[in-house]
Amino acid sequence: MSDDIVLSLTKATKLYAGVAAIDGIDFELRRGEIHALVGENGAGKSTLTKVMAGVVTLTSGAMAVDGVVVSPKSPLEARNLGIAMVFQENSLVPTMTVAQNLFLGQEHFYNRLRGIYIAAQQFLQSLNFDVTPTTTVGALGAAKKQMVEIARAVLHKAKVIIFDEPTATLTPEEKKYFFDLVRDLKRRGVSIVFISHALEEALALADRITVLRDAKKVVTDDAVNFDRARIVQAMVGRDLSNTLYGVRKASVRKAGDRVLVVQNLKMAPMVKNNSLSIFAGQITGVFGLVGAGRTETFKIVSGVLKRDFFFGGEIFLRNKPARFRVPALAVQSGVAYVTEDRKVEGFFETASIARNIYLGLLSKFPRGRALLSRREANTVGSNWIKALNVRAISDEARVVELSGGNQQKVVIAKSLVQEPDLIIFDEPTRGVDVGAIVEIHDLINRLADEGKAVVVISSYLPEIMALSDRILVSRQGKVVEEFSALEATEEKIMYAAIH
Amino acid sequence: MKRFRVTQQEIVFVVFAVLFAAFSILLPGFLTADNMLTLLQNVAVLGILGLAMAIVVLGRGIDISLIAALAVPPGIVLQMVQNGHSLPASIVTALLFAVVFGLVNGWLIAVAEVPSLFATLATGIFVAGLGQAFLFQLDVVQWSPGMEGFQRLGQGAIFGVPTPIVMFAIACVAVAVFLRLTRWGAYTYAIGDNPNAARVTGLPVRPIIILQYVLATLIGSFAGFVMAASINSMPTRIFNSTLIYDVILVVVLGGIGLSGGRGGVLNVIIGTLLIGTMLNGMTILDIPYAGQNLIKGVVLLLAVITDSFLNPRNEETAQQGDI
Repeated sequence: MSDDIVLSLTKATKLYAGVAAIDGIDFELRRGEIHALVGENGAGKSTLTKVMAGVVTLTSGAMAVDGVVVSPKSPLEARNLGIAMVFQENSLVPTMTVAQNLFLGQEHFYNRLRGIYIAAQQFLQSLNFDVTPTTTVGALGAAKKQMVEIARAVLHKAKVIIFDEPTATLTPEEKKYFFDLVRDLKRRGVSIVFISHALEEALALADRITVLRDAKKVVTDDAVNFDRARIVQAMVGRDLSNTLYGVRKASVRKAGDRVLVVQNLKMAPMVKNNSLSIFAGQITGVFGLVGAGRTETFKIVSGVLKRDFFFGGEIFLRNKPARFRVPALAVQSGVAYVTEDRKVEGFFETASIARNIYLGLLSKFPRGRALLSRREANTVGSNWIKALNVRAISDEARVVELSGGNQQKVVIAKSLVQEPDLIIFDEPTRGVDVGAIVEIHDLINRLADEGKAVVVISSYLPEIMALSDRILVSRQGKVVEEFSALEATEEKIMYAAIH
Repeated sequence: MKRFRVTQQEIVFVVFAVLFAAFSILLPGFLTADNMLTLLQNVAVLGILGLAMAIVVLGRGIDISLIAALAVPPGIVLQMVQNGHSLPASIVTALLFAVVFGLVNGWLIAVAEVPSLFATLATGIFVAGLGQAFLFQLDVVQWSPGMEGFQRLGQGAIFGVPTPIVMFAIACVAVAVFLRLTRWGAYTYAIGDNPNAARVTGLPVRPIIILQYVLATLIGSFAGFVMAASINSMPTRIFNSTLIYDVILVVVLGGIGLSGGRGGVLNVIIGTLLIGTMLNGMTILDIPYAGQNLIKGVVLLLAVITDSFLNPRNEETAQQGDI
């Protein structure tokens, strides 16, 4: 029974633009087991599950279901193979009823509502799910929505159900109920794969646990052989030859003036009573897992986030209250935000490098001259291109033609030309090649040496450890722990970051 | 990374040249001085409207209400003069009306965040209806004695060049200066290229969008003034015509990407030349109105498809970094 493999992956590799998201992973899922996937952000958990669910196709390697080699190219193909995925974002249609959602895509030509309501009622009862088939999905709570998703997966005769962070949106009681559901599915012979950041859950629920790190599999073992410490160790333990991020800091920079104070900042649903301070002349690293509210907090500070949700709390910039409605006001007050997603909100792709940087300069001085100065644009452009060592054919090259690292340098230059004294780097080296990472880190260090207040938000622990003088750990919408870089270890930080 | 790539404006220019040559050889009466003059005069108004549309399209918007801007402010001038007001006072009133019209468009799109297509569709219908219901006594607002001097905007010639063409040239230069030399022009391109990045960089996105629509409305009204002056009246029913589609045709055909940020005044000129030649040739050929629409429809479709091939929006491609 224990060697009855439902689904297996051998040497599974997926490359995004030459960078491996998963690298040679072997994975086996037994029939009727609950298998937890854990690892840091970017370790490859999501990609691995997306491969199984047919959302992503492998660059190399093989996948087999019941011993037959398959390569599903769409979620539909995977579903026909008996693999269903329950996404973090709900994939239900909120305006339709539970029954309509269950049978979505399977309706007969003549779609008799009464018929599907009866069928749905019987089916839900057979699963012991307490959901009324005639309610609209939008009116259900998170847990019930998840039930509907699970019911749909079972209805499609799924042998394998994959959950991505199933408990992230649930209350404690709902979680308990969810666990019972999953155990019940297991008894029916369904295999479960679930991604979780909550290690206690993985330990309590799973039969086996696989730990991923840096796109590779570290270990797979029975859950009883794990404890919290061993998982954390496996998640962060890196080979010492990894010199890319330099050696640990021997000393830290002293804190200068208090530049930014955030008090009890609230923004539903991501930021909950967050309080923190940022000082001049040092680098403050902000670590946290996805959904910890780091990016949102600093996007509120820099005016990037629109006021769509309830907002409360206070922000002080150099002891003056500051609540910027738009980034333009933040920029004029010396706050720069370097985005984590440069394609979406970083650069102007049809414009030249020089024009991109010049636009940054123009927005710092809104009352400046009305006519553009070609000479100023060219000098500013070429100065920054030289200063940050942007490699391009010419200053007039379009940004979209550059490599990720050079694009990132242009985005940084566009902010630095505004001469900010509080600079927020959000994932500054995401999707950046190795050489450019070193250059960008040097640049960030130089800025702190010049006395600027620097914030580095990163999901990558080595980056936080290499850069920070002071480390803030964020969890579930607020900063929960603060370390000096001298006392911090990867284990301590990771311990604080997961709940 | 030197790649050989034919830009849309080059293709369109070649098509224009071929069409022009073919008409010249095959159509008697096409390449005459008289006809050339008519051709240019007819397209001047279309070209000015194209410039107005180009500004908003570069900023990743669209202004369907341009024909209302073309018809109503000049109609106000003619009507007020008819009612005994002085010409300068009437012009000032009409311009104020146009500015408010543009501000409303801009506010709806930039602040209320209504998609530009729907916002301008609604305001255009509203303003045209307002004019026909309350402002004008007849569908065609007639010339009256108080209008002396106004016709110089659209009739006669300046240094031997027909006035409408001079007006088109002036509008071209003004728009080119705005787009290429001022910081607001640079902002317009940036917002059209990537509105999110423009916001994060600290550009004044909302004021610039409002400015774009005010300028578009003012330029549209200018086209209306030229038109009214050259035909000595303002047929306000023009709002019900298919003129707005011709304007979009000019802009898209000329190579201004509907995804924003790409193109300039040169593209409008090329688009106007091609459309002008096409319309003129079809009229000489005596193709009936329905047939002309058929041809225009096919050409617009081809242009839009070419546009989406040459200038794909790439928000989708930006999503791939998710690991």
